[in-house]
Amino acid sequence: MNDITDNAIVAALGRQMTRAVARETVAASNLANLDTPGYKAREATFADALDDQLGTTPLPMAAASGGASIGAAASAAGGTREVEGVAARRDGNSVQLDRELVALTRASADFSAAQTALAAKFRLVRYAINEGR
Amino acid sequence: MPSLFAAFNASASALDAQRTRIEVAVSNIANAESTRGPDGQPYRRRDVVLGSAPVETFDAALGRAEAVGVKVNGIVEDQSAFRRRYEPSNPDADKDGFVAMPNVDVPEEMVDMLGAARAYQANITAIGLIRDTITRALDLGK
Repeated sequence: MNDITDNAIVAALGRQMTRAVARETVAASNLANLDTPGYKAREATFADALDDQLGTTPLPMAAASGGASIGAAASAAGGTREVEGVAARRDGNSVQLDRELVALTRASADFSAAQTALAAKFRLVRYAINEGR
Repeated sequence: MPSLFAAFNASASALDAQRTRIEVAVSNIANAESTRGPDGQPYRRRDVVLGSAPVETFDAALGRAEAVGVKVNGIVEDQSAFRRRYEPSNPDADKDGFVAMPNVDVPEEMVDMLGAARAYQANITAIGLIRDTITRALDLGK
């Protein structure tokens, strides 16, 4: 049963924000190294983060009841990996300006979405605490 | 947790590096005709060497997404040969009437400067987006 202070939702939204920050950090790093010879563009992917959450076996997800298991996990920190399938320039750098700007904008939008939902949730809790005032 | 401020610092380091590139390109263009420097030699073209540098090593140690900034590893002099121009009236001319001119190619410097300016702009955009995200996060406390 869901109540107003459902922690799983708050935790899941918090993790979405953490993921967005990680993606933003990686994109900003790539942009910073736009002209560094030999630098390879990196990315943080959702699949990696999900694997981190669930362990390497897919079993926990099947065993637990739906979204609650994802909501209950502790953190959403994920590693990064090199972007595959992009051509490197002659100096060995594989950062693409447009790709990184899109990634940055998308991550920022994801963060905003989660923040809006979380703010609404908090507003609801505050409303209840103040007895509807 | 990767911090937004680390990302901020990464972008800021890039602004610093790109500004250095622009400064060096400008000084190259300014001295494209300088046939005598403090050492009596013509001006040598300078080049910026960029290298990536982690902003916070702690995140990487934990296997998390880390912010990687950029830093100027050094400014090196281009050792390619000077251009030679026939100008017998110039006090710096050798006995055959040729003057050694700086090894600066002005169009090349202009292109380099444009690239640096574009990269600067891209990082300004990144800083704007990160700032927006930080503002949104702070709004939660209202």
